[in-house]
Amino acid sequence: MSGATERIMTPRLTDRTRTVLAHGIEVYRGTPHAARLAAARDRLDDPLRVAVAGRVKAGKSTLLNALVGERLAPTDAGECTRIVTWYRDGHTYQVRAQVGREQRQLRFAREHDRLDIDLGGLNADDVSELVVTWPAQALRAVTLVDTPGIGSLTTSAARRTWDLLVPDEEETPADAVVYLMRHLHAGDVEFLRAFHDAEVSRPSPVNAIGVLSRADEIAVGRLDSMASARRVATRLGADPNVRRLVQSVVPVAGLLAETAVTLTEEEVARLRRIADLPVKEAEELLLSADRFTSSKPELGLTELERSALLTRFGVFGVRLASTMLRRGVAGTASELATELADRSGLGRLQELLRSLFFERRDVLKCRSALLAVAELTHAWPRPGSERLAAEVEEVVASAHPFNELRVLSGLRAGWVSGKDEVLDELERVIGGSGGATHQRLRLPADAGGPELNAAAVTALERWQRRAESPMTSYEMAVAARVAVRSCEGMLADLSR
Amino acid sequence: MTKAAASTAPAVPTGGPAARAGDLVDLGLRACEAFGRPDLAGRLAGMKARLADPVSHIVVAGEFKQGKSSLVNALVGAPVCPVDDDAATAVPTYVRHGDEASAELVWQGDEQRREAIALADVRQHVVENGTEGERVAGVEVRIPRAILAGGMVLVDTPGVGGLGSAHAAASLAAISLADAVLFVTSAAQELTRSEIDFLRRARALCPTVACVLTKTDFYPAWRRIRELDEAHLAAEPGPAVPLLAVSSSLRARAVKNSDAGLNAESGYPGLIEFVRDLVGGSAEQRLANEAAAEVVSLCDQLGASFAAEREALADPVSAQRVVDELTAVKSRVEQLKTAAARWNQTLTDGIADLTSDIDHDLRSRIRAVTAEADEALEKSDPADTWQEMGSWLQAKTAAELLTNYELLRDRATDLSERVGEHFRAASGVLLRTPTVHDPTPLAAGEVDQDLDLKKMRVVKQAMVAIKGAYGSAVMFSLLGSMVGIVLGPIGVGIGLVLGHRGLREEKKRQVQKRRTEARNAVRRYCDKVTFVAAKDSRDTLRRVQRELRDHYTSLAEELNKSNAAALTAATEAANRSQTDRVKRLKDVDAELERLRKLRARAEAVAR
Repeated sequence: MSGATERIMTPRLTDRTRTVLAHGIEVYRGTPHAARLAAARDRLDDPLRVAVAGRVKAGKSTLLNALVGERLAPTDAGECTRIVTWYRDGHTYQVRAQVGREQRQLRFAREHDRLDIDLGGLNADDVSELVVTWPAQALRAVTLVDTPGIGSLTTSAARRTWDLLVPDEEETPADAVVYLMRHLHAGDVEFLRAFHDAEVSRPSPVNAIGVLSRADEIAVGRLDSMASARRVATRLGADPNVRRLVQSVVPVAGLLAETAVTLTEEEVARLRRIADLPVKEAEELLLSADRFTSSKPELGLTELERSALLTRFGVFGVRLASTMLRRGVAGTASELATELADRSGLGRLQELLRSLFFERRDVLKCRSALLAVAELTHAWPRPGSERLAAEVEEVVASAHPFNELRVLSGLRAGWVSGKDEVLDELERVIGGSGGATHQRLRLPADAGGPELNAAAVTALERWQRRAESPMTSYEMAVAARVAVRSCEGMLADLSR
Repeated sequence: MTKAAASTAPAVPTGGPAARAGDLVDLGLRACEAFGRPDLAGRLAGMKARLADPVSHIVVAGEFKQGKSSLVNALVGAPVCPVDDDAATAVPTYVRHGDEASAELVWQGDEQRREAIALADVRQHVVENGTEGERVAGVEVRIPRAILAGGMVLVDTPGVGGLGSAHAAASLAAISLADAVLFVTSAAQELTRSEIDFLRRARALCPTVACVLTKTDFYPAWRRIRELDEAHLAAEPGPAVPLLAVSSSLRARAVKNSDAGLNAESGYPGLIEFVRDLVGGSAEQRLANEAAAEVVSLCDQLGASFAAEREALADPVSAQRVVDELTAVKSRVEQLKTAAARWNQTLTDGIADLTSDIDHDLRSRIRAVTAEADEALEKSDPADTWQEMGSWLQAKTAAELLTNYELLRDRATDLSERVGEHFRAASGVLLRTPTVHDPTPLAAGEVDQDLDLKKMRVVKQAMVAIKGAYGSAVMFSLLGSMVGIVLGPIGVGIGLVLGHRGLREEKKRQVQKRRTEARNAVRRYCDKVTFVAAKDSRDTLRRVQRELRDHYTSLAEELNKSNAAALTAATEAANRSQTDRVKRLKDVDAELERLRKLRARAEAVAR
């Protein structure tokens, strides 16, 4: 099952966007802006660009590695990512640095399973961004952007993230953002705010997912940490202030996720030694990180091996993995990897990325491109730019996917009022919880055609009634008309 | 006058500075009684009460979820502050010593209104639960713990959540009255910009600050983080901020299982010793110094009359001169009590200046906030930003009010020092005059030291008075009541605009309307805040003025009495017979010697 409405709507939207861009290139021919618009047009064919952002030390690089399935981004206990880095798919392994207006090829080495980039005498402050081209399955669908943390003591590093996500007069280079938050912090909201633009969709949760990162730390490593983290994430996700800014909040234990997707047999063998200890002794051993590295010399693991385990799993990971091995929840390395990935929350995040971003990628990309044109016409008026702005407005105002997004953000902002269950249904029907037909109709993923059809027909009738009822408020009536279009789209899609 | 006075003193004082100061104050009280000067006993009695129940506040501050409550629990070895994975501490908890475990709610706005609650119910009042209603200002928990017996009060505060937040301003206000601050940061990451900013500000308000690195059991790389933090702290100007690493969960387990080895691993023994030494020790010494200064001043006042009498007795020729001098002094001392006295004028003028300056500062700050808000509104659509605008505005005004309060505090302290200086200049001359020709005990050699102690007394005393004036004041109630001033909703009047035509125009029109409404709401809010804050700072300054005036007036009154006593004694001496005179001279010398000894002891207690 994949995007139902989009499939019939987006080709048209993408085509219309292309037409606007082509017109824009004409209007701005002979200026530097034409190249920018051409780049925007080319990007419509590229994978979706998703930025991983958040406060300093939120675990951005770790999560990025988990999403790629390889340890590409460098991670460290101290502040680490200081340069905005793009990770994109390609045929060859390559690292390039953007210095001012020119690009330089950098040397790199892959040691101990991690990427080591040699800046070749360049000062980190002079490099505006790094582009890592890496043939990887996960990068075919998405280009990931790693950003320096906000709230860093190194001001220039934080500044860059602002520049990337909130440029003064440019469209945001990323189509969507995965925003990592720890305990919600005043600064977080301010940051998210600024990321959102004003024209195509208003500050809206259409292009942002919240991740409650380092989830294992919320209960400081108790075995029920993830359950606790889920509770916190649910509360955050229901907070009206958060709802207006991100679509959904899921907990992810980034380190565990990264380790799960890169787990080795050797590591499992070492964990097994701990699992073989009597429960009481294992508990004593894992009381603290210091105890784990230096007590019980008879365990048969050197101090170096133990530190390596801690670096990879964290105290929580070692506790969890050894308990799972002891209880026989997982027997082999691959079983353990699956189990850990699942418990880390990575699976749920990937699911969300798929249903909220990837299935809507054309809408999101068109949105970025139209945004670029709209801003250009505001900032640099030229003969013909007035007409261009009108064209953008026409596309924005009439394309059904954009209407869906607009209603979604209106809903999230609390502009549309009504009974809770009606609002909930509205949000689903317009694709707020995923664009697939079964998701819109709140049916299981394996629901058959007739079942979907019947549900869509009832939904259509229901929303028509609401749209036409004189009792319905003005806002709800407008939203209901959009929902009717969504139902019609689903039916058209199902009848093919 | 009897000679039973300050006689039988134990030769070698024992115990800590507080105990020695306690003995000293007792001797001073006996002397007051013996010499018939109950007016001098009042302040000493107050000093005695403070020595018997010394209180030093240690504020535990830091960002959200860094383990502040766990730290307090681990320090006292009992789960007094609720700890939760999600909900954070919402109101401050004061943990102090009590013979039996008990808890009380302190209601907002009225310090005296308290309500006893069960210890088990502390959680529901302390943890944030989102319910509105009458506001609890804090919870006070008393438990029988040796570490608290010395008068230490641990204050667990809500997480500050960024320097700009209202919580941060409230925390800083609490810090301005604290004796020491423990700044808590977890080993999850190195210190962030906002943490360093907060720390910097806290240090300006309370010089005794230590940083505590928590959760060392959970983060394998805590040593790295400690190094990084140490480097950040070392980069700060001023004296070094110590950094201690601890694990609260190891400590809790160690306490539960009475495991000494684990306790040592937790790092807490070091922290406890540190807190005791630095905070307890210095607070105690500070109090002892104040007590000693009181006693020194007592000796001077009492000694003045004996010195005058002695001079008159020793040399009948100069007796008339002494009497004349004292009579001249009398009119000057009386003048010191009046409104025309220089110190009093300095005070009156100073407070007037200060009131106007503080008010101006406040208004220009709030005006800047309004302007900034207008600018922000101009750039955005209030329908989207209104909620955030509310919290932003509140945080911003709170921060500005805090800065305004800091200004008030600094300027008032300056003023109090100036007033003290003027008073001391006038009174010091008066007190020393009769002893100028005296070759014996109260020799000029002691004058330097005397100066310091006396200066300290005059200014310190006044500081205690002023602190009282602040404490009952502004920031706590103000920041609390600011929550009461709401920005209020604006008519959203928003329509979902769809369709081909006029999208932009219609949007623009709606946005303009909302902006106007929002600007007006911001104005109303700022006006209200200015109104409340201006009244509050005027009241505080008036309180400061009253405290200082009362303080120095009563000092002047004491001087007047001392001078009157000296005058009487000198006059009597002039009229005595020769034999009587010799006998009396011996007595007077003995009394002076006792006072000198008492004074020497007081100086030994003060460090």
